[in-house]
Amino acid sequence: MSTAILDARQWQQAVDLRTGRPVDGDGPRTGMVRGVLARHPFPGDRDPRGNAWVTDTALDLAAAYDPGFVFLTYARQYYSARYSPLAPGERTEMVENAFAEADRFARESGYTTIVVGTCGMTGATTPIDLTGLDGLAVAANWSARYAGIYDPSARDLEFLANHPHLERIASRQEILGLFGGGPDDGARLPDYMAVTRTGCYCNTVSLRRLRMLPDAAPTMPVSANLGPVAGVTDIKARLLARLAGGEKTAVAYLEGVGCDDFLAPCTPCANGRDWFRYEPGDAHYLALTTGRHNVFSHNGGYRYYLDDSESKPYPFSGYFTEMARGTIGQDYPGRSIAVGNRSMFLHVTTGCDIAVECFARNLYNQGLMAVIHRSDK
Amino acid sequence: MECPYCERRCRLDGDAVGFCRMYAAGGDGVVERFPDRWCAYAISRVESIPFYHAYPGARCLVVGTAGCNLDCRYCSNSYAAKEDPAALADILLDLSPETLVGLAKKQGCHAIVFSINEPTVSLPTLGRVSRAAKAAGLPMGCLTNGYATPLATERLGEIFSFVNVSLKGLGGAFCRKYLGIGDSAPVIRNIRELSRLCHVEVTTPVIESENDHEIDAMAAILADIDPHIPWHVFRLLPVHRMSRHDYPGIESINARLAGHRQTLPYIYFHNFIGSPWVNTACPGCGRTVITRHSLGCGGDKLDTFGLAGDRCPQCGGAVRLLGAMVAWNAKEATA
Repeated sequence: MSTAILDARQWQQAVDLRTGRPVDGDGPRTGMVRGVLARHPFPGDRDPRGNAWVTDTALDLAAAYDPGFVFLTYARQYYSARYSPLAPGERTEMVENAFAEADRFARESGYTTIVVGTCGMTGATTPIDLTGLDGLAVAANWSARYAGIYDPSARDLEFLANHPHLERIASRQEILGLFGGGPDDGARLPDYMAVTRTGCYCNTVSLRRLRMLPDAAPTMPVSANLGPVAGVTDIKARLLARLAGGEKTAVAYLEGVGCDDFLAPCTPCANGRDWFRYEPGDAHYLALTTGRHNVFSHNGGYRYYLDDSESKPYPFSGYFTEMARGTIGQDYPGRSIAVGNRSMFLHVTTGCDIAVECFARNLYNQGLMAVIHRSDK
Repeated sequence: MECPYCERRCRLDGDAVGFCRMYAAGGDGVVERFPDRWCAYAISRVESIPFYHAYPGARCLVVGTAGCNLDCRYCSNSYAAKEDPAALADILLDLSPETLVGLAKKQGCHAIVFSINEPTVSLPTLGRVSRAAKAAGLPMGCLTNGYATPLATERLGEIFSFVNVSLKGLGGAFCRKYLGIGDSAPVIRNIRELSRLCHVEVTTPVIESENDHEIDAMAAILADIDPHIPWHVFRLLPVHRMSRHDYPGIESINARLAGHRQTLPYIYFHNFIGSPWVNTACPGCGRTVITRHSLGCGGDKLDTFGLAGDRCPQCGGAVRLLGAMVAWNAKEATA
């Protein structure tokens, strides 16, 4: 059983991660984790202290648990660029701060730290209104590039094909073909995927004005100290090889930091396949941590709300209905931790023994959650 | 001319716009400046809004426009409610009532709920949506701050079949400092009136040392109006102009509520992750008949529904309920 410790500031509750029901949370490991949460209240997604919180918390947890592998997510620069009007140079300062925090972790912990970026960011220029379709367009709150299209009419398809701000309309079959799937793999794919041009976004459920968007670049940076990698799905194997040699290793995943922003020697590697490029989000995490593309299950156009039925397990794990399999945390036999200011899926996607993540939904800072998957190492 | 919609009763002469910036003077009276314009539409659970006693489990299309007639220091949707609507015009969606209702149906929704900003600032548009929704068999609900005129309150009661009114505070000093209004008397008057017209639930965000001492008085007011009104006491999430404030203490607020649970059987305390005070007990026998969990702000969900209709299976007593429990994916097959 995995235990989640919910920390709403000065108040904690331990629950069974799968059912959400309260459990006894008084064991020595839960006590250790409770202490870490209590000592490090989360300042907020866009707070200037947001990335320092990651380093401070990770150092504290690492000192207490002594893991061989550490997964860190630094996301403040991503949220801020996405939703805050930034002064000139402000984003650069935030990216510099993210690197400085990753460096601080490496310096103070002694872990070999691999810095991994994502695609970069670009100005949000053009909203695309797809509400007039005869069919249904679904775009997740965190996806700018993709919208799922369901039951389109011939008129819809003509409209979409000629839309000046859409780069492509990809059929389910086309997506299956791109990633080598069979007919049974398409259940969570939309009939068609609308792919926006750079700087454009589908204006459906987003409640806030977008300032910058992921640029969906074809390549993403990985610090050169990992050695050559061809694509995001090659990173896991390289990390496991390092860990097998007994080298204490950390990954610092910097959201919204692309090749042009990267402040260390790096290797550009493939950020997807052909026209499909990852945005920062669950699918990109899973590609990195499992070494496989998971686009059939996790894509920007799925009607995610269908999964949220009364019987959905893992109520504190966002849209996930099961824990990811084949993650680096599961495949590494030693101790592992994950700490990050990206909420609700770090514990799913990394599979680390202990994950500490902020619990901020749509930028509302609810506090923290820690998940203890393993207590037997 | 005077704006007839809220108790500010703004003068709308010439080019003047009201406090909410959503109404202006037109040839035939007060007109909307941004009719049929929406800041968002999204799917949400009815419990998340929150409604705990209306259509349990229902999938709702949550919508909002822009603007507000209050100036709450802790506004959680300030990006829509406190921005100048004119400055948002480039990203507001232009959706006819029929299109909006069509989006709800295409996404298998059971209801439409206006909950991002204040409905009083968009009443004519909402009236048109309600006609389309009624034709489609979709009930409508809303969150409101209750600072509407009697005329507008009556209109709210016609448009919406379930309403959650925010009773934010009582004292004049609190209302002036935290809400930007003179007093709470119109809000209390409107809770009373709306509870006559439709299903009403009430929400109170609690700020320690500022309005927690008013909990006893609020409980007395609600008990006088209708002791079976569901009351959602929120731990305030300090955002907007209160983002540097401490989070209120959970145990201390809960202790203040303890003495009122006998007279007000449907008191809930939430708006923070993992709250255990989100379940419904039968007022007759005390059996837990509905369970939920909370992800905090806007993230509550029905877990189990143990009523037979609106009756407790143990004692047969009635539990306040509008509509029936709705399975989340019930409308997918026909959507």
